[in-house]
Amino acid sequence: MMSKRVLQILLALSAAFALNAVVAEQQVQLLHEVPEQPAAPDFSIEDVDGVVHTLSAYRGKVVILNFWATWCPPCREEMPSMERAWQKLRHEDIVMLAINVGEDEDSVFEFTASYPVEFPLLLDRESAVIRSWPVRGLPTTFVIDPQGKIVYRAIGGRDWSAPEVLQKIRALRAR
Amino acid sequence: MKLLYSDFIKRIALVALLNAGTAIAADTPMTTGVIAETGLHYWEWDAQGVLFRLTQRLPDQTRAYFMARGFDSGSADLIANRCVFQSMFKNIADPGGTATSIDLDTWRIRSGGNEYHLVTREQWQDELQKNDISQAAAIALEWSLLPTRQVYAPGDYNWGMTSYALKPGKTFDLGFSWKREGRVFHGHLKDVECAPDIHPDPES
Repeated sequence: MMSKRVLQILLALSAAFALNAVVAEQQVQLLHEVPEQPAAPDFSIEDVDGVVHTLSAYRGKVVILNFWATWCPPCREEMPSMERAWQKLRHEDIVMLAINVGEDEDSVFEFTASYPVEFPLLLDRESAVIRSWPVRGLPTTFVIDPQGKIVYRAIGGRDWSAPEVLQKIRALRAR
Repeated sequence: MKLLYSDFIKRIALVALLNAGTAIAADTPMTTGVIAETGLHYWEWDAQGVLFRLTQRLPDQTRAYFMARGFDSGSADLIANRCVFQSMFKNIADPGGTATSIDLDTWRIRSGGNEYHLVTREQWQDELQKNDISQAAAIALEWSLLPTRQVYAPGDYNWGMTSYALKPGKTFDLGFSWKREGRVFHGHLKDVECAPDIHPDPES
């Protein structure tokens, strides 16, 4: 009698813990699939080194495009995970671009002293680029497929180096 | 063997008790507390698939923030002399759940028997246009405030300031709402305190 009751409690607890673990895992790794996958608006802007990046020039590659600012706490929080992801993806026909909104080179240079990254940091000084994208808050990140369609969107920070996220991004290369 | 068994039962009872405690806390939509590092208060709603948090901002914090981004002292004062909170809205629905949308123009606060609206980024832009603020300042203002309208898929969230048509130090109740699948949901944060404008005298 006692052992049956203990078994029932144990099963209930295990199920609850397993469910919690699954939910916690999935909560962290969400990328929202964009309905109808619209064409990504093109742009041509400089990065902090003066190199001009044109989005359409990356056609044929998967592009991870992040809008951010140095003063935005979730932007700062996700930046190291973006760098980790970049180190894993950089030789796989995948591009990562982070567009800083409304700040100058000095602010961004100062930021990179604390958050060193190797992917290009672009400057949208007058916020002209962000206005042509469906962005209302920072950070917002889009994943664009090789045909130039916006496939995923994430509002708020994510762990971009998580295996589930990397798998979704890599899967787009086959399109 | 019997001793081990009872010990085991006690452990299970303890785990069950701890879980029950968590459940009770989760069933209470509003919690409030103090952030140990800063001493600032926060108010949080955690229910019906939504996590919404207001954290106090000192007027001097707001002044310094905007002056560092190109505001003249008069314009920075204008914002700092209203009640400003650091805010976070997150759709915490399970994966596969539905999107949630907000519209800050529909949110209201009550204070001293009167009802007030939030001062959104669009309203600030209109008001500060008269002060001829720089383009860099206008951009910082726009993106620093919580979006007036936003759609959040599960897992999405925004941080940003929200500001209210009240003076620092005032207390209010906030009635906020969000939409999910065409249905409007309502939440309340009670006795929210705007941080007072403190100017400590320098030590002699």
